[in-house]
Amino acid sequence: MSILNNINNSYHGYQQLIDFYHEHKDKLFDKIDLELEFWFAANMASALGGILDLLNENFNEVIIKSIQPDIEKILLKNEFLSYFGHPSISDDYQTTIKFQKLKPTDGKFFNNYVMNELLDRSELPRMSQLVKQKIAEKIYEIFVNAQIHSKSKHIYTCGQFYPKKNTIEFTIVDMGIGFKKKINERFGWNLDATQAIKWATQDRHTTKIGVPGGIGLALLKEFVTLNKGFMHIISDNGLYQFDSNGEQMHHFTRSFPGTIVNLQFRTDDTGSYTLKEEIDLNNIF
Amino acid sequence: MEAITINIINIVGSSFCVEAEDGEKVFVLINRLLSDHKKVMLSFLNVEMLTTAFLNTAVGQLYGKFTEDQIRENLSVKDLSASGAVSLKRVVETAKLYYKDPGAMERSMNDILDE
Repeated sequence: MSILNNINNSYHGYQQLIDFYHEHKDKLFDKIDLELEFWFAANMASALGGILDLLNENFNEVIIKSIQPDIEKILLKNEFLSYFGHPSISDDYQTTIKFQKLKPTDGKFFNNYVMNELLDRSELPRMSQLVKQKIAEKIYEIFVNAQIHSKSKHIYTCGQFYPKKNTIEFTIVDMGIGFKKKINERFGWNLDATQAIKWATQDRHTTKIGVPGGIGLALLKEFVTLNKGFMHIISDNGLYQFDSNGEQMHHFTRSFPGTIVNLQFRTDDTGSYTLKEEIDLNNIF
Repeated sequence: MEAITINIINIVGSSFCVEAEDGEKVFVLINRLLSDHKKVMLSFLNVEMLTTAFLNTAVGQLYGKFTEDQIRENLSVKDLSASGAVSLKRVVETAKLYYKDPGAMERSMNDILDE
């Protein structure tokens, strides 16, 4: 029996998920029992969902056997467990942002998802429409990055709204190539995982050939600074953390088989995001 | 010469103009018209969501095909939100630099190693 104990948005939580994957990644035609203990941050269902899919690809059956009642309730409400043989239940307080597994080509479904789960949610009362819009834009930039770069079969998303903390936590995961391999292959470099992530988050840095880009992650960092949230990127064995205090980088003992982009936004943000100077459309080119 | 208006929402088929692939459809159209010496007006009317990924392919790529003067003279935009204008401006500035110095990406490793 594998145990995931206290999975939150922290180095320790990510390392446990990585260890769980490596413990079982070479198994074939096996039964894998998993227990979720103490706490499991709902948004991290997207990372666990990606890992379980990789284990399922080897014809293993993962049985989520024992779950703390509080955790079970939230993972039923956000429909994560419904992908693994459990019924879903309704979310009376409407604090979940549902677990979603999409093909990279399912952009239109993702539009509906963002609309239904974020933009049209009247029960997020403390959040200004402008901040909602900004958050949705940033989530899109990350989704599109995964579409373009990851070569992943699926993209996994999930979130949770915490009314008391005034935050939304949202996580986008792909089980694709990762930053390090993508960047080093493109340029013939030898960056380690954290260096590669850091490079990708800098303005105008792109691996695309013949097309300019590299703005999405830089804009996300700027917004996170203003909004006082955070962003964590986990790719390969690297963790890149960014918040209004700056950046930090750490290494895990083993690699995550893809990329996790984990975001926290403050919903009580009253920032007007007005522009310092209005951009003249007649002079934009 | 009167400009030909491209309604972005119609080309994309959605008010969510977010995917790079959809931007490519818009680029193909603008490219064709500018190559044919036409003036183009890009209308963002009723567009609800825009990403830089979309704008990079739709507009950014034009700087690899046409000079800044050609684009300034023959391309214009309307009905773009303030936030969309910020994104477009950023995309345009990035594209100008990108095509002026194609080797910049290869040298950019130093940006992180020098720190």
